[in-house]
Amino acid sequence: MRLTYYLRLLWVSIKTSALTSMQYRADFVVQGLMSLVWTALALVPLLILYDHQQAVAGWDFGPALVVMGLFVIMRGVLEGAINPSLIAVVERIRSGSFDYTLLKPADAQFLVSTTKFEPWRVVDLLTGVGLIIYAFVRIGHAPGLGDLAAGALLVATAIAVMYSLWILIIAAAFWVVRLDNLTFLLGAIFDAARWPIQIFPAVWRLIFTFVIPLALMTSYPAMAVLGRLDATTVLACVGGAAGFFVLSRAIWTLAIRSYTSASS
Amino acid sequence: MIRVRDLAKHFKVHKRPPGLAAALKSVIHRTYTTVKAVDGVSFTIERGERVGFLGPNGAGKTTTLKVLSGLLHPTSGEVSVDGHRPHKRDAEFLRRITLVMGQKQQLIWDLPPAETYALNQAVFGVSDADFAKTMAELSSLLDLEALAQKPTRQLSLGERMKCELAAALLHRPTTLFLDEPTIGLDVAMQVTIREFVREYNQRHDATVMLTSHYMDDVVALCPRVIVIDGGHIIHDGDLRRLVKTMMPDKRVSFTGTVAPDQLARLGRVVPADGGRTSIEVPEDRLREVVGHLLGLDAVHDLAIEDPPLEDVMRKLFKDHKPAEAAATPAPAAEAAS
Amino acid sequence: MTLRASVRAMPTMLRVGMAETIAYRAEMIVWILTTTMPLVMLALWTSVAREAPFRAYAQADFVAYYLAALIVRNLTSNWVAWQIGEEIRMGTLSMRLLRPVHPFAGYLATHLAAIPMRALVVLPVVAIMFVTSARDVIVTDAPRLALFGVSVAGAWLLVFATFVAIGALAFFLEKSMSLVEVYFGLFMLLSGYMIPLDLMPGWIRDVATWLPFRYMLGGPVEILIGRAPDAGAVLAAQWAWVAGMGLAAALIWRAGIRRFEAYGA
Repeated sequence: MRLTYYLRLLWVSIKTSALTSMQYRADFVVQGLMSLVWTALALVPLLILYDHQQAVAGWDFGPALVVMGLFVIMRGVLEGAINPSLIAVVERIRSGSFDYTLLKPADAQFLVSTTKFEPWRVVDLLTGVGLIIYAFVRIGHAPGLGDLAAGALLVATAIAVMYSLWILIIAAAFWVVRLDNLTFLLGAIFDAARWPIQIFPAVWRLIFTFVIPLALMTSYPAMAVLGRLDATTVLACVGGAAGFFVLSRAIWTLAIRSYTSASS
Repeated sequence: MIRVRDLAKHFKVHKRPPGLAAALKSVIHRTYTTVKAVDGVSFTIERGERVGFLGPNGAGKTTTLKVLSGLLHPTSGEVSVDGHRPHKRDAEFLRRITLVMGQKQQLIWDLPPAETYALNQAVFGVSDADFAKTMAELSSLLDLEALAQKPTRQLSLGERMKCELAAALLHRPTTLFLDEPTIGLDVAMQVTIREFVREYNQRHDATVMLTSHYMDDVVALCPRVIVIDGGHIIHDGDLRRLVKTMMPDKRVSFTGTVAPDQLARLGRVVPADGGRTSIEVPEDRLREVVGHLLGLDAVHDLAIEDPPLEDVMRKLFKDHKPAEAAATPAPAAEAAS
Repeated sequence: MTLRASVRAMPTMLRVGMAETIAYRAEMIVWILTTTMPLVMLALWTSVAREAPFRAYAQADFVAYYLAALIVRNLTSNWVAWQIGEEIRMGTLSMRLLRPVHPFAGYLATHLAAIPMRALVVLPVVAIMFVTSARDVIVTDAPRLALFGVSVAGAWLLVFATFVAIGALAFFLEKSMSLVEVYFGLFMLLSGYMIPLDLMPGWIRDVATWLPFRYMLGGPVEILIGRAPDAGAVLAAQWAWVAGMGLAAALIWRAGIRRFEAYGA
C-alpha cells in the first residue's frame, strides 16, 4: 500500500523536476554540451600520462579508462539526482519553506531526496558507458558475465553510499545553516575518484576506503568488472554500504528532532 | 478540537555581540541564553470555532501555531489536536490540518501552481474525484481560473496568496492554522481572503486559528480572541466582551465644529482623522449626547462606533505591562514571533 | 560616489568584511577545502614519478609544484562573480548603488578582508613545504621571493578583475553562472592548475601564453619553484592583463549599470 504511494510520489516528483528543467530550454542543451566538455577535460591528464608510459600503480590505459568511465557515470548520478535536491533543500531550510515539507504526511527524507532532478545529466550516464565500452575494446576482450554482475552490484552500492553521505550533509545543514558551498566540497573531494585507488599513498588509500569511501565509488566497481575483486570483498562492500545507509538514516532522524526542537 | 494545557516552549539562542574582538572570541566559545517564547499557555478550542490569536511581535503566536501543527516539540505541557499529539506527526494528523504562513511559500517558483497542486495531491493521497471536486470549489471561491496555469513567479502577491491557500487546502483539512495570511495584501484582497476563510469554515465545519496584525481580519472573522503577550495568555474570550471590558465607552464622531467647552461637557475628545471630531462617550450617556449633537445645525455625518481594536489592544498590553515588569522580562527580539 | 568617499570608507568596510568572514567560518573552511585538485594530482604524479622523473619533473618537483599551486589558488580565489550575479538577480544591487561608495570598492573590501583568514589556512601548507622534498626545489633568495610576492598580488588582482567582469555579465545574461563553469574548465586546463603547463602538448602551451589563465596561477607557481627564467616577462604580461581585465570589467560594468537603471533588476 505504502509502496505504491511512494512510487507514485516519485513519479510525480520526477515529472515536476523535468518540467522545471525544461522551462529554460536553451539551458538544457547547453548543460548537456558542458557535460561532454567536462568529460573531455577529465580525459586530458589521462592521455598525457599514458602518452608517456605504459602503466601507473599496476593500471594500464584500458583499466584506467574503465575507472574514468565509472567516474563519469557516478558524477552523472551525483549532479543529476543528488546535488540538485541538496541545493534545493538547503535553500528551503534557509528560507523557512522547509517547514512545509514537515507538514506533509510523507517521510521527510523521501520528500527531501526527490525535491529536484536534472534530467539532462543522462548524457553523463551515456558518455560513461561509452568510455567503458571503448576501454574494453582497448583491453581486447569483453568482461565475463559474473564480473559484469559484480560490477553492477557495486555501482548500486556506490550510489547508496553517495546518497547516505549526502543525507549526512543535509542533516548537518540543520545545524550550520549556510552550506551552499558544501556541494562544491562534495564535488571537489569526489574528483579524486577519477583515479584508481592504488595510486594514492597507503594512508590516503585507507582514508578513501573507510572514511570517505571514494574507492567504493569507482575503483572497486572497476576492479569487479575487470575480474580483479574476490567475492568476499564484494560482499563486504555491500555490507558496509548497508550499514552506512542505516547510520545516515539514524542521524537524519536525530537532525529532524533537533530542528523541530529549536527552529524559529 | 484543540486542547492545550500548560504549554511551554523555551529556546536556547546564542548571543552574538558586535565588534571584531567578540566575533573572534565566538569562533572558539559561544554563549547561550534561554528565551521563553511560550511560558504556561492553556486553552481549548472546539470544532468549527474561528479564533483570533493576537499579540505583539515576539509574543509567542507563531511558536504556539508551530507547536500545534507539529513543527516544534513542546518543552513541557500537553497538546492535543483531534486526539493526536502534534509533534508525533502522524500521517493521519497531518492530513487533517494545514498551516499557512503568510511570509513563507510552498508553491514551486518556476512552475504554474497547477504543478504544485498535482504534487500535493500525490503527497496527501487525494483521489482524482475528490481532487477535482475540491479544486472546483476552491477555484470558484478564490477566482483561480486564469491563475493556475501561469508560472508562480509571474503572479502578483495577492494572486500568489490565493494560490498558496488553494495548495494548502486541497486536501480538505478540518483544522486551519493561518499565520498572517493577509500580510502585504491590498484591502480588496484581504476582504476576499477573509470571506473565503469564513465560507470554508462554514461549509466544512473547519476549526480556524488565525493570527494577524490587521485588526480588521480579526473583527471580521473571529468571534473569540486569545491574546498572548510575553509568552502568557492575557485574555481569552468573546471579542465584543473584550472591547466592552477594556473600553466600554463608545466613540461618537462627526464633521463640523462645536465649541470646545461644550464638547468637553459631552465627552472626552480623542484623536480622529479625516477632518472629523471624535469623542468618547460612556454608554449610559449615549442617548443624551447623540440627541444633543443631532440638534446642532453645525454637526453632520454623525457615527457611533466601538473603539478601534488597535486602541483596545494597546490598552490591554499597557495594562498588562506592570504585571510583566515583576517577572523576568524575556528578550523578545531573537525569539520566534 | 567619489573616489575619496570610497577610500575613506575602506578601513571600516575591511573591518566589517573580516567580521563577516569570521561569522561564516564553517562556510569559509568549506570553500577553502574545495581546492583539493592539486592534492589529488599530487598523489597521482608522485606515484607516477616515484621510480623515475616524468619527463622534466622529478617527484620533488611535483610536490613543490602542487603545494605551490595550492597556496596560490587559496590566496587568489574569490567568489565575487557569484556575489555580483546574486545581487543583480535578487535586485539587492539597487541598495548598493544608493551608497556614496563605488560598488567596486565594496567588493574589493569584502574580498581583501578574506585574505588574512585564507593566509592563516595556507600557513600549514607552507610549513609542509619546508618539511617535504619540496624545500630543495623552491627558491629561497630574497629577490626571487619578492618577484613571487608581486606575482601573487598580480594574480589576485587578475582573478578579481576577471570575476568582476564575469559577474557583470549577469546584467545581460540570464544564467551567467554557467559561464563560471566554462571559465573554470578553461582555467583548469590553461592555468597549470590541473597539470604543469610544461607537461602539456606544445600547442596548448602556446595558446596558454596568450590567455590570462596562466598568469592567475601557473606564472607565480613557476616563479616559486625556480622554473621561470623569464620571470620579468611573465610579470610584465601578468600586469598587462591586470590592466586589461580591469578595464574590461569597468566597461562591462558601466554598460551593465546603464541597462540595469533603464530596465530595473
